Amino acid sequence: MNQVTFRWRSPLFNIVQALITLAVALLMGALVIQVSGKDALGAYRTLFTTALGSRLSIADSLLASTPLIFTGLATAIAFRAGVFNVGVEGSLYLGAFAAAWVGFTWTALPGFLLIPLAFLAAGMVGGVWGLLPGYLKAYLRVDEIVTTIMLNYVAILFTSYLVNYPFLAPGLANSMSPKIVPAAQLPRLMKPSQLNLAFPIALLCVLALWFLMRRTTLGYELRMAGDNPIFARWAGMPVARTILQVMFISGFLGGLAGAGQVLGVNYRFVDGFSPGYGFDGITVALLGRNTPLGSLLAALLFGALRSGGSTMELFTDVPRDLIRVLEATIIFFVSAQFTFEFLRRRRALQDLSAS
Amino acid sequence: MTKTLIHVGFATLRMTTPLVLAALGGVFSQQVGLLNIALEGMMLMGAFAAVVVAAAVGSSVVGVGAAALVGLLTALIFAFFVIHLRADLIVAGLAVNILALGLTAYLLQVLFNTRGAYAPKDLEGLGSLTIPLLDQVPLLGPMLSGHKWLVYVTWLLVFLSWLVLYRTPLGIHIRAVGEHREAAETAGLPVKRIQYLALLTSGFLSGLAGAQLSLGNLTLFSENMSNGRGFMALAAVFFGQARPLPTALACLLFGVFEAVQIRLQMTVQIPNQLPQMLPYLIIVVVLTVLSLRERRLSAR
Repeated sequence: MNQVTFRWRSPLFNIVQALITLAVALLMGALVIQVSGKDALGAYRTLFTTALGSRLSIADSLLASTPLIFTGLATAIAFRAGVFNVGVEGSLYLGAFAAAWVGFTWTALPGFLLIPLAFLAAGMVGGVWGLLPGYLKAYLRVDEIVTTIMLNYVAILFTSYLVNYPFLAPGLANSMSPKIVPAAQLPRLMKPSQLNLAFPIALLCVLALWFLMRRTTLGYELRMAGDNPIFARWAGMPVARTILQVMFISGFLGGLAGAGQVLGVNYRFVDGFSPGYGFDGITVALLGRNTPLGSLLAALLFGALRSGGSTMELFTDVPRDLIRVLEATIIFFVSAQFTFEFLRRRRALQDLSAS
Repeated sequence: MTKTLIHVGFATLRMTTPLVLAALGGVFSQQVGLLNIALEGMMLMGAFAAVVVAAAVGSSVVGVGAAALVGLLTALIFAFFVIHLRADLIVAGLAVNILALGLTAYLLQVLFNTRGAYAPKDLEGLGSLTIPLLDQVPLLGPMLSGHKWLVYVTWLLVFLSWLVLYRTPLGIHIRAVGEHREAAETAGLPVKRIQYLALLTSGFLSGLAGAQLSLGNLTLFSENMSNGRGFMALAAVFFGQARPLPTALACLLFGVFEAVQIRLQMTVQIPNQLPQMLPYLIIVVVLTVLSLRERRLSAR
């Protein structure tokens, strides 16, 4: 069974390794930029100063990292349990629509009821969506990679249909839903940045997930399912049920990601609004070694990169798609990382046998 | 009625070609025991290379060659990380797909200053072939004749793949490695080299698939053009149990659904997103049926 398993290393080691990976990736990115005839140093300088240069830009970086925290957590918890859930994007879209629907339908409710309701609806819809491939994997041994990817397209198309036909905002040409009522809009934290309540909510989710993984039975069960499924089965753990629970939580978090965008930034559901937050979640989870805290840090990093990347594109002429190339490089090197240890061990063994 | 059938049949064959090519690539890597989810990324890179080179050089044939080469190179990177650096197969595959998305979009901007799509004027697509006697046959004739040459090459490749895998020593070696890696190693087979070969082949074929996408059907490249076809190809490989002909037929099945949904869009008045969901849903259903069948078989 293909899994992403990370041997335990001290947190310091992990951070240093992550930084080295980042450095290598940045180097490769610089190479790509230079080869395409542009100025790498200038691009990177713009990237970093605009990402972290002022209070406002930090706020924007935090804003950009918010959906990534959610999707990173969603992916991390699934990967940790040995489930390759690539379907977070789909849960994100469905959750976003659910949140928007609550926001423009239940207009009579006050904010302190409406907002939690919208988030809950988003999470539930996303979670239930995750149950489908989860059930197929848990009880029918259907490989979850292809099913979750396929279901992503289904979810995106379905919400696109919803927003273009039954729920199209009247009087507008664009594919958008009606705007949510002001009571449902998440309060801004640092005007004029769009940073909003979704960010602290994401932080709470990090805490909640840390607690889940480290202090609950379910957390133990899912870690065992990921690390050693044979042992888990032998010990009588309900692996199938654990997979279902994990897929639900993963989908739930994906739905929250969508809700955060709808309630905090767009204030309506827009067709195709996600530039791939779900897939970025994979990068975030991997760089964060499938842990809640690691995912948070990685999400913050990528938020800064994305936020700086857009500005980088504006001021230099380096397209922000470079960030995606950086992401890919990072994933390559992270996945190859535990092989440097392998090489070292092999050399040690060779030395032993030679002596 | 017959006209619709002919249209759908023709469209199916045309649209299935990228799927079949990519699925053949999947067959080879599956036969050495490597689940290759990077088909999507390699296809995208191939599609990009095909358009860029064909436009630059003025020949679509060269474009096809370039696509295959780029697919090969992408597979080389993938294979290096997976086989030599022992990176996780799935993770590295995902990385290839992300790399393809980013790199093609990046180069699109850097080279042509466009976003979204690149449709160079005067880009000649692939040439069509009419088969002299075949096209006189009623019903089948107009369905099978008049396709781009790559379509016919594809089915030739299906036959060749079967030939190599089941009638040559290399094929036996490939299947041995996939069947039981340690045994093959003990028997003295160069496992790593065979795996490399299989992955490179799958890159070559996926690159060709991309060429058919961008030069065969339309004559442009648009961002994320492959749009999940690489994963559909993988589903076909599962369905066809990694055997060339059944896999190709599975691709046809998926292709039928895709052609049908396009036809539905044109004729029936339903919102086009709904039929577009069909191919993806069918694949989930197919995979479920496959697993159910396996369970029933193993329960006996």
